[in-house]
Amino acid sequence: MQVETQIGEYYVTYMAFPAFPKPNEQGRVNLYASRIDNGATYHGEVTFKVRDDSWFSDEQEVIGTQAIDDGVYRQGFIFKEAGDFIITAEFESGGEPYIIDFPLRIGEPTPLGPIGIAVLIILIVLVGVNVTQRKRMQRVKASQHHRDNRDASDDEL
Amino acid sequence: MYESIIEFINRLIYVPSEGMVHPGLSVNWVLAIIVVMVVMVMRSMLTGNSISTATAGNLNLSRLPMVGGFFSALVVKPWILLSLRVIAALIFLLVIYAGLFGTPVPERNIATVLTWTVWWSAVVISVFFVGSAWCAICPWDAIASWLVRRKLWRRGDAASSLNIRVPKYLRTIWPALFLFTVLTWLELGAGVTTSPYATALLALLMVVLATVSLALYERKAFCRYFCPIGRTLGAYAAMAPIALRPIDNQVCVDCKTLECYHGTNDVEPCPTHLLMGTITQNTYCTSCGACTQSCPTQNVGWRLRGIGEEITYASRPHTDEAWFILGLVALTLFHGFTMMPYWEDWMRQLAYQIGDSGQILLSFTIGMTVAMFVPISLYLLVVRLVHYFGQSPHHFQRVFNALAFSLLPLAFTYHIAHNLSHLVRESQGFWTVLFNPLGVDTVPLSVGEIHMRHMNPLINNEIVFALQATLALFGFWLALRIARQRLTSVVASGSSKAVTALSFTPILILITGFSLVNLWLLMQPMIMRM
Repeated sequence: MQVETQIGEYYVTYMAFPAFPKPNEQGRVNLYASRIDNGATYHGEVTFKVRDDSWFSDEQEVIGTQAIDDGVYRQGFIFKEAGDFIITAEFESGGEPYIIDFPLRIGEPTPLGPIGIAVLIILIVLVGVNVTQRKRMQRVKASQHHRDNRDASDDEL
Repeated sequence: MYESIIEFINRLIYVPSEGMVHPGLSVNWVLAIIVVMVVMVMRSMLTGNSISTATAGNLNLSRLPMVGGFFSALVVKPWILLSLRVIAALIFLLVIYAGLFGTPVPERNIATVLTWTVWWSAVVISVFFVGSAWCAICPWDAIASWLVRRKLWRRGDAASSLNIRVPKYLRTIWPALFLFTVLTWLELGAGVTTSPYATALLALLMVVLATVSLALYERKAFCRYFCPIGRTLGAYAAMAPIALRPIDNQVCVDCKTLECYHGTNDVEPCPTHLLMGTITQNTYCTSCGACTQSCPTQNVGWRLRGIGEEITYASRPHTDEAWFILGLVALTLFHGFTMMPYWEDWMRQLAYQIGDSGQILLSFTIGMTVAMFVPISLYLLVVRLVHYFGQSPHHFQRVFNALAFSLLPLAFTYHIAHNLSHLVRESQGFWTVLFNPLGVDTVPLSVGEIHMRHMNPLINNEIVFALQATLALFGFWLALRIARQRLTSVVASGSSKAVTALSFTPILILITGFSLVNLWLLMQPMIMRM
């Protein structure tokens, strides 16, 4: 998987190997950073951190700090569990901090979520329509019954 | 002289420094197109006020030898259409399944390949031959109908929907234009085309929208007002060579029961509130066949007609439709721009200037807004000039609505020419994907494979160029013809030749300008979608 992004004065390319890593599988992140104005490669250190990309988790863990190697910052990783993670790359240039977040999916995504939501919405609407229509029919029947009774009593008089 | 012209045109072609790109129209083709365009402009200027009239007597396809029986069965026998709808729905469900459960590699997953490379390219091309026929087998509507009506093809229970009348402010195609703009943003900005998962989500979303709309509103409000694809095909279908029309107009005039509008016990009424006896334009016809099946005298059939005849003479101008056409023109141009190698450089520079980071969606949104604003502003200016020079007794809005039709062929033909490039140059991997739709155990395309696909398009490059050139010229010719015809309805009656010529000049310049921009886009190398 490859993600290209730009931040401040840098154009950053991020690659994850393998593209879609599995739990307990050795993986690697390659990061290239070059200046937008002249294309010069960033020389320094990049710190890689990771956090769980879920709503209730903000715990962050440092994976490592890497120096440039042949124009690339390489960071290895192994995840024990499947899930959605955010890899954060941090470096400093010209006294300014640069922090870039990249998504990383470990294992297969959970497909039941979207299907479940779609089915739920459709179900709620269909049941809602059905209930509303039944109530309408009952109201119509009741008013019809009321009218019939009134007509009958008028006839008796 | 010839060499210097060739050199000038060559200088207009961007040479990318990296990446795999599709070749653009060659210089010789460009030169030939420009020469023919010049001849057309001169002829159009010399024609003056002499406008041809609509040709009467269209051909009933069911009376054609050999194929007539097929067309006849197609409109009367519901099982044929039902079979096609079932097949389309099954393929659509496969797309959702593959998108959610298959490989995330876009070029190996049927969700992205079928949706964006094949369907999205082919559906616009299909309008040129079969009008809005896609809507008849649309899986979004098919699945929504089965869920809500709970009938495979017969008329559903009226109580299955709340049948609420669509609020007046929504009874326009503004919602469709908004959704089409959002779809373009998702496609080109958020990168849905390269994500099978996001493609599946989008597909699910459309089914949910169609179902909710059908459950709440009367008839098929989603098809009529909200569907961005249906409205796009509907707008283009005004130029299609076939349409569902009465076989004998007098039968419709004498009809008192109006089954086509009200339906029968078995057949649904027209989903978009059309009455066959008064229908003059294809825009809202979904080709669903309800009218053909419900008509007791079998007086409705597919008719062959002159390409562009409806949009030149019969289409009635409405403000929302005019804006939709303008939106199509702007978005198709924008579509082309984003696939030019320099687009990314522009966006990168813009993001740098405004401090945008990450996926630079803000920069993209600004770029998209500007790209839409420019052609629309130019059109407004031209309408103002036509209104002024033509001493039009009509309101500005009417001139605006009427002349918008003349831009539609430019959007349509460029859209087809652009999509043709994607279709013939990127769809070779389709058969591989068909046999492994989920892309199990596959890896991203290697550079070698990309190169092989690039070097072996489905159709020879020269044939693609010839088709693109023909389309560009056809669009230009039809745009001029429509502008000429529509102008007569907006300039002051009894205007002199000089006034007519003067009022024609701004729209002529705009049409020529847009055509040249389209041509310039077709000349450029184009980035492969996947």
